[in-house]
Amino acid sequence: MTLFLDSVQVRFGATILFKPLTLTVAPGSIATVMGPSGCGKSTLLAAVCGTLDPGFSYTGTILLNGRKLNDIAVENRKVGILFQDDLLFPHLDVFGNMAFALPAGLRRSEQQARIIASLESAGLPGFENRDIATLSGGQKARVSLLRALLAEPEAILLDEPFSKLDEDLRSSMRSFVFDRIQRMHIPALLVTHDKADSPDGTFTELN
Amino acid sequence: MSGSSRLNLFPLVTQTAFLLPILVGLIFTAAPALGYLSVAGHRGFSLDPLRTLFAHPSLPGALRSTILSGAGAASASLALALWIAATVHGTRAWRVIEFSLAPLLSLPHAAFAIGFVFLISPSGWLMRAVSPSLSGFTYPPDWITAGDPWAISLTLTMILKETPFLLLMVFSGLNRLDVKRTVWIGRSLGYHRLRIWTRLLIPQLYPMLRLPLLAVLAYSLSVVDLAYIIGPSLPPTLSVLIDRWFNDPDIAYRMVGAAGAVLLFVLTLLFIALALLAEQLIKKAAAGRLLNGRRKSPFEPLAGTGSWYMMLVLLINTTSLLVLMIWSIARVWRFPDFLPSLLVISTWTDNWGRMIEPLGVSVAAALASCAISCVLVVGCLENELTLEYAKQPSIDRRSLWIVFMPLLIPQISFLFGIQVLLVFLHLDGTWLALIWIHMVFVLPYVFLTLASAYRSYDRRYSQVGLTLSWSPLKTFARIKLPILIKPILFSLAVGFSVSIAQYLPTLYVGNGRFATITTETVSLAAGSDRRIIAVYALSQVILPLLGYAAAIAIPFMMHRNRQMMRN
Amino acid sequence: MPAVLRIVFVAIFFVIFQTAPSRAEDTWQEIVATAQGQTVYFNGWGGSEVINEYIRWASAEAKTRYGIAVKHVKVSDIGDVVSRILAEKRAGRTSGGSVDLLWINGENFQAMKTNGLLLPPYTQRFPNFQLVDFENKPSTRYDFTVEVDNQESPWGMAQLVFIYDSGVVADPPQSIPELLDFCKRNSGRFTYPAPPDFYGTTFIKQALLELTADREPLYRPVDLERFQDITRPLWDFLDELHPYLWRSGRLQPKSAPEMKRLLGDREIFISLSFNPAEASNAITTGELPDTVRTYVHRDGTIGNTHFVAIPFNASAPEAAMVFANFLLSPEAQARKSDPTVWGDPTVLSMAKLSIEERRLFENLPRGIATLTAEQLGTVILEPHPSWVSAVEKEWLNRYAR
Repeated sequence: MTLFLDSVQVRFGATILFKPLTLTVAPGSIATVMGPSGCGKSTLLAAVCGTLDPGFSYTGTILLNGRKLNDIAVENRKVGILFQDDLLFPHLDVFGNMAFALPAGLRRSEQQARIIASLESAGLPGFENRDIATLSGGQKARVSLLRALLAEPEAILLDEPFSKLDEDLRSSMRSFVFDRIQRMHIPALLVTHDKADSPDGTFTELN
Repeated sequence: MSGSSRLNLFPLVTQTAFLLPILVGLIFTAAPALGYLSVAGHRGFSLDPLRTLFAHPSLPGALRSTILSGAGAASASLALALWIAATVHGTRAWRVIEFSLAPLLSLPHAAFAIGFVFLISPSGWLMRAVSPSLSGFTYPPDWITAGDPWAISLTLTMILKETPFLLLMVFSGLNRLDVKRTVWIGRSLGYHRLRIWTRLLIPQLYPMLRLPLLAVLAYSLSVVDLAYIIGPSLPPTLSVLIDRWFNDPDIAYRMVGAAGAVLLFVLTLLFIALALLAEQLIKKAAAGRLLNGRRKSPFEPLAGTGSWYMMLVLLINTTSLLVLMIWSIARVWRFPDFLPSLLVISTWTDNWGRMIEPLGVSVAAALASCAISCVLVVGCLENELTLEYAKQPSIDRRSLWIVFMPLLIPQISFLFGIQVLLVFLHLDGTWLALIWIHMVFVLPYVFLTLASAYRSYDRRYSQVGLTLSWSPLKTFARIKLPILIKPILFSLAVGFSVSIAQYLPTLYVGNGRFATITTETVSLAAGSDRRIIAVYALSQVILPLLGYAAAIAIPFMMHRNRQMMRN
Repeated sequence: MPAVLRIVFVAIFFVIFQTAPSRAEDTWQEIVATAQGQTVYFNGWGGSEVINEYIRWASAEAKTRYGIAVKHVKVSDIGDVVSRILAEKRAGRTSGGSVDLLWINGENFQAMKTNGLLLPPYTQRFPNFQLVDFENKPSTRYDFTVEVDNQESPWGMAQLVFIYDSGVVADPPQSIPELLDFCKRNSGRFTYPAPPDFYGTTFIKQALLELTADREPLYRPVDLERFQDITRPLWDFLDELHPYLWRSGRLQPKSAPEMKRLLGDREIFISLSFNPAEASNAITTGELPDTVRTYVHRDGTIGNTHFVAIPFNASAPEAAMVFANFLLSPEAQARKSDPTVWGDPTVLSMAKLSIEERRLFENLPRGIATLTAEQLGTVILEPHPSWVSAVEKEWLNRYAR
């Protein structure tokens, strides 16, 4: 599983947001894209995901495992996303949030088993019936990632996922996320403005 | 904050200004229903009024059309508003809808209905467009369209007017949700957008739509002016029957009217209860399906119809307006001519002088009731937020539903009682009474449209002001007010148009001494001269339109160099 | 006939009353003086712009001549105002009432009279009251058979007339049975407003009067025991008529103005009116095509008088009297009769007017669609007001389910 961006360039009307970007992200690895705020980092992710706002367009090719994503509907791309806000659905509990990501056709007991196992592996045992509002910031961030991964995406996009966490929480969350992605063996594209977010210290500048 | 104790007064004043008189109004309406009407010389209690009511030959038919049109209009409006939101949100058409909502809402119900009737009548514009060329009709066919006995045309009229209102409520509710990224996440998890709406957004949105929906339900069940213009006639809806009984020369019929008003009140409560029950049932039924993981929706092929429906709403509204404009300058316009054979400006020039006074009364009542309502609403919201910031248990948020009571009770069920009360207090026909009764209906809408924007204000802006050692008042006036000017003005424009549209309250409280542009238009709607009706109806449109224009123009002028304030 | 006897009896009474020394009250000059600066809230049906315009003119005249401000409170049903005054009375408001003058007749007058809601007899004080044609217009004395007793001031005469489109209908029906035939031949091209609309009720009364062999019981309070027997021909007629009405009788217009609109749209071919000049008027304004004409039934149509009355608790009774007197003036009456203004026939007697005053009337134009007094034919007097509610009730029972 590889994510390949070939000369991707986003424009708003006639305005070009950044120079053409070419990137290859191997499975289990994380490519970091850096840039000052407002340079179009999130828009790049929207292009990969297929959720560009009206008025935006892009050129270039996006390939995931050889599939050309350009013309595939968002919901069929199998590209997960994680934001700096957890965006857990407040009308559902932890179980509901995670079950939402599971594939259709599972029996309730199967859903339960998968969710409990996932929560336990993340150090959140017994959290399935908790209301979202009662979780701490770190717990929410983890549940949010677990949810994204339960959908079994073939790639995951990370939109400054650590920027809202405390300093000490940030490093533990980073290793948690990187560890998960490696275990899932999927490519990840991380946009950030914090060099420390990059797992190996390398990054691509967006300008 | 030292101001918090004073802020406490706002919910207190607001609640007593509304709750007490409305309760008294209800009681003063209910007493005659039980045979107690001292002005008619009845001081004992009896079931006779109720018996007369239930024995009345028109009651079953009236109940049928009331229920069909009321419940039908409310549920269809909600379904359509949500359908439009779910299918159109995030597309370019959404911007068009956003832009068109204000003018749509500014078209008063009565004016729209008058235009709509002419549009769909067998001798109306649609038929004229195809006659005699396509239809072969040189005389209008004897078909039942407007005013049909099944109240379909009445229901349609209300759907066409209430869908935009509920859409507005959807807009203000969506402001509080992170729709864009919720949709993004949902789709990245493989869900179709319709599923994301039904499973993620509507469950979060509905609590914010519940009250507006119930208001639409109560309104649709009890509307009088629309039912007069486009409702069935044999028998009419219950609200029209009640209005007639209240106006019967035989004063004993006031007690029957009161009994009818109580019945309508009970009916409305029943349907509100049913709506709440249905909500619970749907919630229960959906709970299992919510997490079944199905990504696709069987309705996906229909997703395009949302924008079509919205186009239709827009088209019908503009055509109704257009037809009024043409009538207002027509001299002779006979069937089957597509356009008038003679155009004149004299209908405008002849009537303009007569409209100045009713327009003035309308504007004065609307401005006064809006200004006071706005101060009260802002005060209540400030109090609520102050308590919230101080982490004090905020009882006010829950108890403020009282403010919405006037929207959930049929107007006619308490206006009669209020009239009795005002006569007793010698306040009938006074400006005080008029402005107050308008406020009763204006304030809830101001609250409804302002609250979500006001609550989502980032108070750190104000904290910046306070750290500059500005007084709380100065901080409020210099920072919060300018930032919130757009939603405040918009809620004022909504309140303004609500006040302009008030028909029954103006009539019952004003003793007929206040002729507003709306009471004039509705009374003329019963007249014969469509050209004059059109001139009045258009004048009724102009005021709210100016209100909305101001609400858009003023913030634009203030913030024309501030990109962040645009949205 | 007892009705005639009663007319004579009351006429005698009236003469005595007129010659009796006036009570210890203000003279007319004093009333006019007091009236100055007062505001009259004149409550009246506001559904006709022609009439509203006339009232505007009269109000402006009252302002310049007497310094009185007249505010026309336009209502859709004067019954509402009657019951409001009753509510005021029961609430103990014996002065400072919300209504100073109201446009009224028939069952509303009866309701006000029996409930004591009218100012004690006052119209005899009006200088112009002497000019009313009581002799030839009995309905100025008996409002739907109820004695007027100087408690309301005659304002205008009304007679039910039918308006038809001569471009479509060659021979309009001349009686109720002929109307039925017409409807059978022209299905869906006639209707009448649903009661309790005033015009709808009048049409039904017209049918009742035409179809009833012995009209005498109709001029007495309704006898509920005999009601079904007496009205049987009426219901038979309506039962037969309704399927041939506009929209098969499944909906009916809410008012006569709505009928006029339908006539203008050519949805229906025959409409009805209480104003003999309405058709001509509507041709002038372009509301109706110039082919519309007026007709009445061979054996006559219902006619009545409409009045203005002052409630017992009026805030400005003096100004209301001065205004009512002005409405009775030859000048105001002549203008009202002008078909280009309103076309409402006068209540005044030409014989009682001076030559100049008479000329005001004689010079009036008569519209192309207006019938002459002779063509208008016999006036059938209104039945006792109690028939209105009885017939309305039965009608609702049958047709408004």
